[in-house]
Amino acid sequence: MATTEIYRYLSLDNDVEIALDPEGYLVDLGQWTPDVARALADEEGIALGEAHWEVIEVLRDFHERYEMAPAMRPLVKAVGRALGPDKGRSIHLMRLFPGSPAKVAARLAGLPKPSHCL
Amino acid sequence: MKLHIVNCAPDAGRVVQQALSAMTTDDRLLLIEDGVQGALPSLVDGFSGIEGRLYVLREDLEARGLMSRHDDRVTVVDVDGFVTLTEQAEQTLSWY
Amino acid sequence: MRDGETPAGDLLVILRHGSHGTSWLREGLDAALVGAAFGREVALLFMGEGVLGLLEGQGQGALGQKGTGPTLEMLEMYDIEALYVEEQAMARYGLEQRDFLLAARHLDDTAIAELVERHALVLTF
Repeated sequence: MATTEIYRYLSLDNDVEIALDPEGYLVDLGQWTPDVARALADEEGIALGEAHWEVIEVLRDFHERYEMAPAMRPLVKAVGRALGPDKGRSIHLMRLFPGSPAKVAARLAGLPKPSHCL
Repeated sequence: MKLHIVNCAPDAGRVVQQALSAMTTDDRLLLIEDGVQGALPSLVDGFSGIEGRLYVLREDLEARGLMSRHDDRVTVVDVDGFVTLTEQAEQTLSWY
Repeated sequence: MRDGETPAGDLLVILRHGSHGTSWLREGLDAALVGAAFGREVALLFMGEGVLGLLEGQGQGALGQKGTGPTLEMLEMYDIEALYVEEQAMARYGLEQRDFLLAARHLDDTAIAELVERHALVLTF
């Protein structure tokens, strides 16, 4: 779940400051822009390419429709439906968003923290 | 065998009916807290169909002054008996 | 309807409250989602007042609390597709399948007892 606690600020190139919670999720989800995603990805050491952006879009659609961030299982399913079975696999998502894909990708996509995964 | 535990009075809604409809023929039912009111002779018919598998917690009967008023068809257990029932069951379901 | 042929699952969550009055419905759905996220086979039974939780057209609360509609629609994304509803409660509330957001199998008391029996873990909300 998104929290309202501001832990630190993410600075964008245009001097805009984005409030982040202790786990690095946006405090105000409405502040998300592709630039925010890039800056957050920088911190993770991820260079966002086409394959990342299409997953981010799937996530934003998911949140728009269901008002929650998906855990890994539904994320894989949603990506598979939107982008085809080759991409709807956890290994694909692990490569794009190493560590914990459901959490990392949700963070970059400006979603709250997935509430149903560890 | 599962142990079902009801802590609501018979008059407090449909909790008793829900517990009963989820019970199979070897499941047991234990009445605790306000649920012990169901052990009164005038109300125990609400549990027909589970004779021999209906239990009531002694401590909660005593606290409510119902110890000598419960129906003989209900088995009284104390807290130790409660623990034993729990141990004998593969799972416990609470109906509240 | 007798229901002998549905497979045994890992977790059965029994939902006995409608939305908004208490948080039980949401908490029960959360428990189901957590179970599914961890790869469990999860079934839901809407029982008693809980049948109202299946209604189409549920919205936000007066204070902006989330409605359960989006969560219900999300269940299939978590592969939670074994949905059951208490037939008697539907009659009590005057509801039919067409009033529901999702298709659920209607169970009489015997079928409910069998459903509970087939699940090693049952949580009541």
